Amino acid sequence: MARQPFDPNRIQARSTKPPRAGGGGPLTVSQVTALVREAIESTLPPTVHVAGEISNFKRHSSGHLYFTLKDSFSELSCVMWRSSAGTLKFEPTDGLAVIATGGIEVFERAGRYQLYTRKLEPRGVGTLELAFRQLCEKLSREGLFDERHKKPLPAYPSRIALVTSPTGAALTDILRTLERRYPCLEVIIDPVRVQGPGAAEEIADAIRRLNANDAALGGIDLLIVGRGGGSLEDLWAFNEEIVARAIFTGRIPTISAVGHEVDVTVADLVADVRAATPTAAAELAVPVREEVLADLSTRASRLLRAVQSRAELLATRLTAVRQRIAFRRPLDPVHRREQLVDELSGRLHRSLNGRIRSSRRRLDEIEPVIQRIAPHTHLRKQAIGLRDAEHRLAWALSVRLAETTRAFDRQTQRLDHVSPGGVLPRLTDRLERAAAGLSTAMHHRLSLHSQHVRSLEELLTAMGYRSVLSRGFSITRTRKGRRVVRSLEQLRDRQRVATEIADGEFESEVINLSQLELFDEPWESES
Amino acid sequence: MGKRKLTFEEALEQLETIAGQIEQGKIGLEESIGQYERGMTLVKQCREILSKAELKIQLLQQRADGTVEAAPFDRAPGMEKDS
Repeated sequence: MARQPFDPNRIQARSTKPPRAGGGGPLTVSQVTALVREAIESTLPPTVHVAGEISNFKRHSSGHLYFTLKDSFSELSCVMWRSSAGTLKFEPTDGLAVIATGGIEVFERAGRYQLYTRKLEPRGVGTLELAFRQLCEKLSREGLFDERHKKPLPAYPSRIALVTSPTGAALTDILRTLERRYPCLEVIIDPVRVQGPGAAEEIADAIRRLNANDAALGGIDLLIVGRGGGSLEDLWAFNEEIVARAIFTGRIPTISAVGHEVDVTVADLVADVRAATPTAAAELAVPVREEVLADLSTRASRLLRAVQSRAELLATRLTAVRQRIAFRRPLDPVHRREQLVDELSGRLHRSLNGRIRSSRRRLDEIEPVIQRIAPHTHLRKQAIGLRDAEHRLAWALSVRLAETTRAFDRQTQRLDHVSPGGVLPRLTDRLERAAAGLSTAMHHRLSLHSQHVRSLEELLTAMGYRSVLSRGFSITRTRKGRRVVRSLEQLRDRQRVATEIADGEFESEVINLSQLELFDEPWESES
Repeated sequence: MGKRKLTFEEALEQLETIAGQIEQGKIGLEESIGQYERGMTLVKQCREILSKAELKIQLLQQRADGTVEAAPFDRAPGMEKDS
């Protein structure tokens, strides 16, 4: 189907000539469509530029675009295949005035001619301009430019990262400015291409990389992303969505610095702060060191003043307090308390002596009683008597039982003759009950006696001198003769004595006899 | 205080707190003096941080395994291309 050069005469000729196919009969739909197609395609130039407004725009899931171009009188169906649609910088929308470039062909199945669009350009504004406006609108709708997402810049950064060309003027400007203002700074440069294909991806990657490695690099306080001035095409990478999203997602506060004052990019709108130029970015990023030092001196002197005035205030208060009575006679309360202590200690002393004296008196009273009772001997005698009684009782019982049994045996023999089987069981029963009663009574007596013995034992323990020992008293005896020491007169120097206390006995040697007079009144005068 | 050195900003913040405490008289004199000494140490630390006279510049390089490394950067003037 080679195209012929345009020749109006041929159309004229054809329309008057009968169709080639079929004699004079009707044509099929396909035949007519083929004729139309041939006529159109042979007549129109292969490439036409059509100006119109887009309507019925549809982007099919396959990626192909379908739309209608119209002006006030006519409409033209248009198709743009995915391969061509992929190169579009802007998003076609209904109502947009465009110039579509492509070829007119007939779509035979639908009997329709269409413009197969290979290129679409906005009219009135440049393509890039339109793309910029469209992306701005989209990101703005999503809230990426919202003030509430803007992160504050650190007042005193210590490490700044730069995403820019390692050979660009922007880098030189930034470094020079940083050094002039605040040289106590660490700078990390993440080198990227800032224009041409792939630049946007590199810039976005760098922003993401720095954010991801923030900690590994020792903490980055601030990011500056930018480049020097250039044409809209040169700056285009900073208008790409991928860069905008990388800046928006990053946690590190970011300053954008693209081109000159007049150039505003999407990156500028997303960044936390927009700087008109790279130099301005550096000025926004850091304070001036001399000013910070001056501020530091002010703070240091403020601190000193605060401490001094505090000390002066306290000194004044101290002077005032010293004028008061309590400080003129400071020892008064002490003396009052000393007097109280003296009084209390005197009372304590007296009451202690009284207690000791009365205890001593009671001990003296009890001792002869204990000696008289001699409870051990008494008890032992009682126990022996008891055992004796028990034995005798048991013996008497068994003798009695044996006698009775024998008597009964005899009776039984006699009764066997008189009335066998009648009286005997009754008597046997009585006998057994009597024996059981006797035994119970015996046990009862016995337990009464042992209770008595136990209570005597307890009494003895209570009164025994050992319980006195357990209260902290002791008994001292001479070593020879083991006589209880009651008087100093029984003792002489270097004599050995044995002292019994609650849990044992120890020996000691008498020295310095007079030292035994522990209290005001010696023991001897008491007894 | 941990082992990590304070950043300039943190040191300044502490300094602010200390000055406030002393001025408001909420702490005793003895503690005030202790805090004053700590404050002066902070001032000294801040001055030390500011005393570095030259930028430390490093160039970030990505290794094959995806990790990054910062290497010293040589400033060669006159290589400007875009401007």
